[in-house]
Amino acid sequence: MKLRTTVAAAGLAGAMALTTACSGADTTRPTGAGATADAAQLALTPTTAKAKGEVSTVNWLLEDEPDSLDLDTQGGSAGRTVLSNVCERLYQLRPDMSVKPSLVRQATGPDDKTLVLSLRDDVVFHDGSAMTADDVLFSLRRHARPEMEQSDEFANVAEMTRTGDLEITITFKQPDALFTKALAGDAGLVYNREQVEKAGKEFGTPGRPDACSGPYRLGDWKSGDSIVINRSDSYWGEKPLTQQVVFRWADDSAMVNALKTGAADGTYADSISTAAALRGTKGLDQHYGPSTAALALIPTERGGLADPDIRRALALALDRAGIARSGYGGLVEPWATPVGSGAWGYEKEAFAAAQKQLTGAPARPGAGDIAAAKKLVENAKAAPDKPIVIGTDSSQGRLVIANAVRAALQQIGLKGQIKTVPPAEYGEFYGDKEARAGIDVLVADWYISKSDPIGFYDNGLSDSSNNWIGFSSPDYDSKVKEAMRTLDDKKRAALVIDVQRRFSEAALWIPVAQTPTALVIDDKLTGPPASMAYLYYPWAAALGAK
Amino acid sequence: MIAAIGRRLTGLFATLLAASFVIFAAVYAAPGDPAVFLAGGRDKLTPERLAAVREQYHLDEPLVVQYGRWLWDCLHLDLGRSFQYGDQVADLLAARFPTTLALVAYATVLFVVLGVGAGILAAVRRGGWVDSAVVGGTTLAASVPSFVGGIALVALFGVRLGWFPVTGSGEGFAGTVHHLTLPAVAMALGALAVISRVTRQAMVDAGAADHVAVARASGIPEREIVRRHVLRNALGPIITMCGLVTAGMLAGTVAIETVFGLSGIGSLLVGAINSHDFPVAQAVLLLMVTGYVVVTTVVDLVHPLLDPRLKAVRSPA
Repeated sequence: MKLRTTVAAAGLAGAMALTTACSGADTTRPTGAGATADAAQLALTPTTAKAKGEVSTVNWLLEDEPDSLDLDTQGGSAGRTVLSNVCERLYQLRPDMSVKPSLVRQATGPDDKTLVLSLRDDVVFHDGSAMTADDVLFSLRRHARPEMEQSDEFANVAEMTRTGDLEITITFKQPDALFTKALAGDAGLVYNREQVEKAGKEFGTPGRPDACSGPYRLGDWKSGDSIVINRSDSYWGEKPLTQQVVFRWADDSAMVNALKTGAADGTYADSISTAAALRGTKGLDQHYGPSTAALALIPTERGGLADPDIRRALALALDRAGIARSGYGGLVEPWATPVGSGAWGYEKEAFAAAQKQLTGAPARPGAGDIAAAKKLVENAKAAPDKPIVIGTDSSQGRLVIANAVRAALQQIGLKGQIKTVPPAEYGEFYGDKEARAGIDVLVADWYISKSDPIGFYDNGLSDSSNNWIGFSSPDYDSKVKEAMRTLDDKKRAALVIDVQRRFSEAALWIPVAQTPTALVIDDKLTGPPASMAYLYYPWAAALGAK
Repeated sequence: MIAAIGRRLTGLFATLLAASFVIFAAVYAAPGDPAVFLAGGRDKLTPERLAAVREQYHLDEPLVVQYGRWLWDCLHLDLGRSFQYGDQVADLLAARFPTTLALVAYATVLFVVLGVGAGILAAVRRGGWVDSAVVGGTTLAASVPSFVGGIALVALFGVRLGWFPVTGSGEGFAGTVHHLTLPAVAMALGALAVISRVTRQAMVDAGAADHVAVARASGIPEREIVRRHVLRNALGPIITMCGLVTAGMLAGTVAIETVFGLSGIGSLLVGAINSHDFPVAQAVLLLMVTGYVVVTTVVDLVHPLLDPRLKAVRSPA
């Protein structure tokens, strides 16, 4: 991502028009920083250089042992990182975050509410049997069962039927722009029906074979120790360079040590602090790629930030560049929307331009921003009279954000108070209204699994369970729903940009920074994508010697 | 003897039953709602979905009913399925227990050999510089928490010198010993002070007995006196203390496993508590309690065998 300074940005509200020379994407920082990286200097590249040579075994680290290798019952990034190499999907999320047909040979839409999927005829599962339409239909219906992780992706589906030997027809209650994108994720996994039924309840637990087609087959999962995947010799596609990948898992510090000593060859660092600790280590390369993840502040229903003017003021006064530097070693980038650039799976230029136009979340507030924020607070109808309680856990980055929020509140004449809870309790803030009853704003992170920002903005719908403050705007709702029905990418992008502007204007959530995907890898290896696509794309198949 | 073992066993089962209920209630009462973790992604946490999850996992039933269900299954040798992993709890334990057991066994060997050795040395050379060195050195070692020692050991011998691996538990006997050396040393360090101190004091007490003075007066070599009269009589408290420390270690591997990236019972427990994985947390805690009770019971049973005086006192006329 190139450093750019927007000199004048289009003003949103009158007050914000004062804030020239700063924009959401403005990541200008003064020179002379310490050892920390400058997010603006981090080139976010979707892929690494193509590999040339074969490698026999690569040792890969995960943040944690996967809960299960049945992504329908327990999704998680550790399990996905492994299975993306083993289990193919109907569509494929590419390293540049675009979506292409994969096990689907061709898709047609006779009308907006019908999707006909013609399947490839050369796909063979790891047990040697050929993929049939029956397998695909079985898999889709399994994903759609209400108790399954991906069931919500099928909300608009009216019917799924087999209409030919290698053809599935899906009809929708209303057009669904996100459906094929979901089929590039876990909702598009194709299982061998026979194997899944044979395994029953044990499907996805240690010691069971996989039921997929893909460049690698599941070798051995020794519970508590390691997971091995081996190159599948019968694979119908291109042959991977790396023969075997051994996955182990370790906590932050153990992970850093393992990579430093060469005990492990690489990892997709889930926590950016791991990457920060390894910067400049001899023998290791680091690559940063686009991700949909972002850090944000989510106001709660308690109402301390109920007034949109107060939220706007806080958004203007927050020192995002300072947070990036002291909380994340400069590896996150101040950002004006609560969803990262990896969400731009289409119409990238349009989204990038629109993001830069948002002026409500400067990287580093200037005097103008602070003055505008103070004015907003003065004129606010309902400024809070009690301290605003900021909820966080004790992880370093979040604590830095919490402190920056308190400092920003203080600067604009309000009071902040930090409430730190243990990680288990922190997780509950997201789902439990009662758990949130003690805080006014949550220091949060969020990502979406599909590379389409509209997959995020539905969180602002009046009836969304994630719309904690009860934001209600019929205009917003209709625009979001229209975008979700619009199958044409260009038209949808225009609608999404409009929705994004409304979301930002209402300061529903307060964006802080976008978090890139960090790939840390032995400097003799190359090839895998650096973007968030690794969760769904067979990244190990591209891995090899330099 | 058989009656004594029977009494012990009954006591053991009663203890386990009581412990299981306390553990169940404690895990149940821990802050946080397991349904939130079971429901999946953050965008799926609707009240309806949470209610469905609670019903599916019987979380909506009263505590006593849940406990009864668990106990019934347990008596049928079914520890249930992990909420988090979907796998049989018994399988999870079986996969992770060997690592923890090997770690504790290794640490026990280290602290027993080094700790008792240092204690004997200090007692024999009481008042001299060796005594001072042992007391000072072990006090220093004990004042460092095991995970801090672990981090220091990793930094020096793992990362800096590269002598030992920094993560994982290794394969085969040699591999396991290689991988577990640093964590076992880190765990043993804290125990060294206790064991060497107890050994030293027990030896000093035993050495003050009349028959030792008599033996010494009759010209038996000092080495013989220490071995046959002093050490033999001092063994009781030493073994008791070693047993207690080992039993405590079974429940205290959490920090070390985290530092060294070992997938053992300790890290399983922490994960289970954080994700409210009731069946796993319950089983691990129960296993730890069982380990503690079994080790202390064995020590109690072995004790009289070593020291005939105790047996004489306890047996009825």
